Amino acid sequence: MADEALFLLLHNEMVSGVYKSMEQGEVENGRCITKLENMGFRVGQGLIERFTKDTARFKDELDIMKFICKDFWTTVFKKQIDNLRTNHQGIYVLQDNKFRLLTQMSAGKQYLEHASKYLAFTCGLIRGGLSNLGIKSIVTAEVSSMPACKFQVMIQKL
Amino acid sequence: MAICIPVITKENYPLYICSIPTENELKFQYMVHTSLDVVDEKISSMGKALVNQRELYLGLLYPTEDYKVLQGYATISKVKFFMVVNSSNTALQDNEIHRMFWKLHNSYIDVMCNPFCNSRDFDNMVMYIMIQVC
Amino acid sequence: NLGSLQPLPPDSNDSPASASRVARITGAGDQNLFTSVYPTLSQQLPREPMEWRRSYGRAPKMIHLESNFVQFKEELLPKEGNKALLTFPFLHIYWTECCDTEVYKATVKDDLTKWQNILKAHSSVDWLIVIVENDAKKKNKTNILPRTSIVDKIRNDFCNKQSDRCVVLSDPLKDSSRTQESWNAFLTKLRTLLLMSFTKNLGKFEDDMRTLREKRTEPGWSFCEYFMVQEELAFVFEMLQQFEDALVQYDELDALFSQYVVNFGAGDGANWLTFFCQPVKSWNGLILRKPIDMEKRESIQRREATLLDLRSYLFSRQCTLLLFLQRPWEVAQRALELLHNCVQELKLLEVSVPPGALDCWVFLSCLEVLQRIEGCCDRAQIDSNIAHTVGLWSYATEKLKSLGYLCGLVSEKGPNSEDLNRTVDLLAGLGAERPETANTAQSPYKKLKEALSSVEAFEKHYLDLSHATIEMYTSIGRIRSAKFVGKDLAEFYMRKKAPQKAEIYLQGALKNYLAEGWALPITHTRKQLAECQKHLGQIENYLQTSSLLASDHHLTEEERKHFCQEILDFASQPSDSPGHKIVLPMHSFAQLRDLHFDPSNAVVHVGGVLCVEITMYSQMPVPVHVEQIVVNVHFSIEKNSYRKTAEWLTKHKTSNGIINFPPETTPFPVSQNNLPALELYEMFERSPSDNSLNTTGIICRNVHMLLRRQESCSSLEMPSGVALEEGAHVLRCSHVTLEPGANQITFRTQAKEPGTYTLRQLCASVGSVWFVLPHIYPIVQYDVYSQEPQLHVEPLADSLLAGIPQKVKFTVTTGHYTIKNGDSLQLSNAEAMLILCQAESRAMVYSNTREQSSEAALRIQSSDKVTSISLPVAPAYHVIEFELEVLSLPSAPALGGESDMLGTAEPHRKHKDKQRTGHCMVTTDHKVSIDCPWSIYSTVIALTFSIPFRTTHALLSSGTRKYVQVCVQNLSELDFQLSDSYLVDTGDSTDLQLVPLNTQSQQPIYSKQSVFFVWELKWTEEPPPSLHCRFSVGFSPASEEQLSISLKPYTYEFKVENFFTLYNVKAEIFPPSGMEYCRTGSLCSLEVLITRLSDLLEVDKDEALTESDEHFSTKLMYEVVDNSSNWAVCGKSCGVISMPVAARATYRVHMEVMPLFAGYLPLPDVRLFKYLPHHSAHSSQLDADSWIENDSLSVDKHGDDQPDSSSLKSRGSVHSACSSEHKGLPMPRLQALPAGQVFNSSSGTQVLVIPSQDDHVLEVSVT
Repeated sequence: MADEALFLLLHNEMVSGVYKSMEQGEVENGRCITKLENMGFRVGQGLIERFTKDTARFKDELDIMKFICKDFWTTVFKKQIDNLRTNHQGIYVLQDNKFRLLTQMSAGKQYLEHASKYLAFTCGLIRGGLSNLGIKSIVTAEVSSMPACKFQVMIQKL
Repeated sequence: MAICIPVITKENYPLYICSIPTENELKFQYMVHTSLDVVDEKISSMGKALVNQRELYLGLLYPTEDYKVLQGYATISKVKFFMVVNSSNTALQDNEIHRMFWKLHNSYIDVMCNPFCNSRDFDNMVMYIMIQVC
Repeated sequence: NLGSLQPLPPDSNDSPASASRVARITGAGDQNLFTSVYPTLSQQLPREPMEWRRSYGRAPKMIHLESNFVQFKEELLPKEGNKALLTFPFLHIYWTECCDTEVYKATVKDDLTKWQNILKAHSSVDWLIVIVENDAKKKNKTNILPRTSIVDKIRNDFCNKQSDRCVVLSDPLKDSSRTQESWNAFLTKLRTLLLMSFTKNLGKFEDDMRTLREKRTEPGWSFCEYFMVQEELAFVFEMLQQFEDALVQYDELDALFSQYVVNFGAGDGANWLTFFCQPVKSWNGLILRKPIDMEKRESIQRREATLLDLRSYLFSRQCTLLLFLQRPWEVAQRALELLHNCVQELKLLEVSVPPGALDCWVFLSCLEVLQRIEGCCDRAQIDSNIAHTVGLWSYATEKLKSLGYLCGLVSEKGPNSEDLNRTVDLLAGLGAERPETANTAQSPYKKLKEALSSVEAFEKHYLDLSHATIEMYTSIGRIRSAKFVGKDLAEFYMRKKAPQKAEIYLQGALKNYLAEGWALPITHTRKQLAECQKHLGQIENYLQTSSLLASDHHLTEEERKHFCQEILDFASQPSDSPGHKIVLPMHSFAQLRDLHFDPSNAVVHVGGVLCVEITMYSQMPVPVHVEQIVVNVHFSIEKNSYRKTAEWLTKHKTSNGIINFPPETTPFPVSQNNLPALELYEMFERSPSDNSLNTTGIICRNVHMLLRRQESCSSLEMPSGVALEEGAHVLRCSHVTLEPGANQITFRTQAKEPGTYTLRQLCASVGSVWFVLPHIYPIVQYDVYSQEPQLHVEPLADSLLAGIPQKVKFTVTTGHYTIKNGDSLQLSNAEAMLILCQAESRAMVYSNTREQSSEAALRIQSSDKVTSISLPVAPAYHVIEFELEVLSLPSAPALGGESDMLGTAEPHRKHKDKQRTGHCMVTTDHKVSIDCPWSIYSTVIALTFSIPFRTTHALLSSGTRKYVQVCVQNLSELDFQLSDSYLVDTGDSTDLQLVPLNTQSQQPIYSKQSVFFVWELKWTEEPPPSLHCRFSVGFSPASEEQLSISLKPYTYEFKVENFFTLYNVKAEIFPPSGMEYCRTGSLCSLEVLITRLSDLLEVDKDEALTESDEHFSTKLMYEVVDNSSNWAVCGKSCGVISMPVAARATYRVHMEVMPLFAGYLPLPDVRLFKYLPHHSAHSSQLDADSWIENDSLSVDKHGDDQPDSSSLKSRGSVHSACSSEHKGLPMPRLQALPAGQVFNSSSGTQVLVIPSQDDHVLEVSVT
């Protein structure tokens, strides 16, 4: 993973860039989230290849999710997911109490309405990573008080 | 020297195949495709066995008379690299092939992580290996 | 005699076959003695295992030593360099039971010495002397030395410094504890020594062997020789049941040999190897049924073995050992490697092999191995280990196939002579069947012989094998492999001209490749399938496959052209049944890339022309002439949906009109791209209480779509249900030549029925071949609408104002009607509204899609009744727009006088309250009926005008002088200029004159403001009881510059009654006598003076009037009220008086009032009422009138003297109430005097009240 600061800066630029292009009508409104998420997906796919280069093979789904929460998260965000919950029916909730991409904004609810656009890319990252490990999924996110946030992963049973 | 180096995705479709001479490619594709059976078996068995979980190298997959050595290598993400070698060259050491695959893997990762996705480096690496492996 | 010893069988010396796994021990000395102990010995010896420590750090093993005893002969002792380890005597024992010194000296000693010398001569140190003693002998002998002495002697004489080499075995045949001990001791010793010697010699042997191997580079070194040596070692391990070690020996040999071969290939050939390069003459596969194949072993020994012999022998030994080790599956796996390896080695060594010989060898070997394994495993084991054996099966199948091809057994017309010769040669190479398999029915040998014997037999065997193999592969889930074998089978069937059998396999394989997107195999298999289908005469399938191939870029140009030609040829040939169509999916033939409409919004009116231009990307390698390209269109009417009305379509449905179609994913795994894209959106969840953000996030709208399980992809080859729709509506385009690549095709159609047209199918017909795109997706539609001609008239401003010219917009939507020259709109004029027609009014003509098409002058003729507007010529489905000025007379509704004017105003107020707070403009509707050229009925249009002003009047009095005040209020948004206002009396009274008190004639009146006008009434003699007035004022929009036409003034008519003053009421308050001022709390006197101002008038004539001899008088009631409660009226505050009706008649009332506050206090009000005695007749009616009148007045004059009017009202209402309830019984009534008739001269005056002494108390009480 690139140097943290660089990553953060790049990410911010990316978000603002996409939203600018929306204002100029290049991206139709409301698709920005999707656009960012897709970027994330592409990046996630690539990263997972690199991160799994010398790890052990995964035993099962849960094993993979743990990998995402620990190694993957640590490499990208310099910390682990704080809490992983699952219903064992293919739904996982990853909670990060101090999500790196939100820590630059003031904590609490002040900028809450802007939070989601800073989560889209990461949703993509997770989805991309999982998909390259053979798990089709949908990743959504939720913030109620920054910088804590939840990512929900719904796994597609095949 | 290696005469065919295919890369197969986790969905088992050929992502990249480089073979020399190219007129044999059809034969190689048939071989590689058939050998996927064995790969699947090996991968699934690897998943179960607690031993050598870090082992990505699958070893000899599908020996035939003419192309004895069809080595396989599967990443965690189930991307598979193969190496078809003329069975006449037996000097090939396992660890050597191992190293080759490792290089191949790295260069594949580089391509994957490259947003501009130019596979030239990968091509070069493949050619390099083709010539090296002998 | 030594005959009693059981001698080894004669061949045993050199035959490892009978290598009864024993160590050889020689015996010397007293044979009888030995014979006696032998049984016990031979069975006791192996009972106990011994730990065997081994050299080179190999793990120690427990082994049981068995041994066979032979009589000691000198020639048994090994010469130098003897490698026969098996026959090597490991231990030499000398037996004696001598216990007599004499005897010892005489014979035994020499004998021993001789024995030892021999051993020494052969430097053999493994020996032992056993002295058996039994008490029986001692008994009968005299002069006996103690036994020990003999032992000591022997020890001294022979075992110097290795006394342990001499043991005593006492009473071996007895059964006593002592005997037991001595036996055990003896046996242990024996084992130890034996093992020692064994280890020593084995070690030595291994060392020799290594040194021999080191020599392998030297010339003259023979592999075979070395082979024998190392195998000797293997045998020994095998003898000790150390099969692992034995196997290792063979593997080492194997590796060594392979290495040589490789090196040979690399160039440095060992000369001994050239020997193995002799041409292959016999290829009778592996033999694994005997533990050791002596023939081959000997041939090796004799150095006559071929490479195949050597390999076969080696493998057979490895196989045997592996089976001992219970590792049959390793046998299978090694076998496959071996076979591949041999083939390679023969190539490498350039050994000349007759064609097919190897195939035979491999085939036989495979089956041999398989049968061997089956021989030693049960079904269950085999079935669970198919994965290991199936390789051999398929290899055998493969080989048999190639043999079949080689020997011409696959061609449909049997083998020719040449083939037969070849077959014969091959069979010759098999030699005779071996005895061990001779009587097994299904032996590989027999199978092969039979298979090669005839076409039918071959087919049978080949099919058996193939099916078995496929079955096995399938059973362990190696589908791909199974399919691959299946393809070979298909090829076989094709060669046998049995395509119907081949097809299923080809289809299976193809499906498999398609599913995983393997381009080349797909192409290749398709080619085979095409041929197959051609033979089968499945025309449709064949053509479809051909089209797929023709568009396949993995084929050469020629091939593609060929397949394309196939289609064209078929298409061109006259089909047997005319009209018969062959329907094929289009995507392989051509692909729909994009489509666009003209007009671009894909909306066209009935009869309009619509163009659809599509881009088709032809996949064919050559230009293809297409008779017609047809788009089937589905027609649907949605009558009652607003979205389909002309208005909506023409206005809203706009798009760039270009639809792009996703390129069809050619052979690509379906699993890849069958997922719809995520629909992610930002989510904002606000707290219900205060609308603040609770949580934000990202949600996915189409989870249900994405998370549902994937259904297995249907075969790409046959898109289900490619059926030709025969729709009534089609777009057709004939005789198109599709060049390879992109082609533009344009359809034009004239819109007929109104409705929605959905493009469903795209078909291209080449002769009788129809390429069909079954569903056009994304959905493409165009709409056709028809429209009735319509006329809309709407004001430009939001509301029209009466009195001034206002623009009205006329919109004529021609719809399906074409406006001809001379068509005109006939407006029948409304009386109060006129249409002002300026010269330069122009009309715009637009097409329905709002592009301006033309502009024309408008001719308008007006007669008094009719205005006719001649419309400009306009085609159907156009819009004509023009504006006209209309003028509505300002005060039309006011005709009916104020009351009905209010009346008319009422309903409008109701609903206008919304926008206009409080009072709103009075509106009038003008209905204009217009005759339109397109219909016989005339359209009626209502225009609503609002009167900008609201007028009220008031009557003001001063004593007997009278004034009329008119208030004009501007309710509109505009400012106006008011000019020359008039008030005229429309009544008959002649001498009445109205004197305006208004200053200037021109006066602006701004929006939402009022202007007041006042006139004084003057008259000379008796004024009329009522007065009809008409107020009129000219007005014009202040903004407007000079208007073209003169505007009608605004008029307002009203009527004033009883305006003449009859009574003057004057009230005065005097301080108490002797005081200068009134004081709070002190009684003051109130003087009320009522004065009649006129003599009898018309207005007095009512039932209150009483006449007594020329004197008229009327009854009045006065009342003193103080609404502001400044005064406390003491005593009765009202009374009825009889007032003479005569000028200057006065009446004085005196009463007491007390001021409650200090300061200048207004006087209490004094009111007068008519006091009417009860009169049943028209009373109620009359009183109702009076009530209304008062009320209306009170309404009009609110603003001034509020309390009065309100009290009046209350009176009236109260009074009317009581009147209504006391119907019938006589009761007097009150009637307020009209405001004009009473003048309160003291209204507004004030009297000073000063606080009393103890005012502060009051002050306090007040505050």
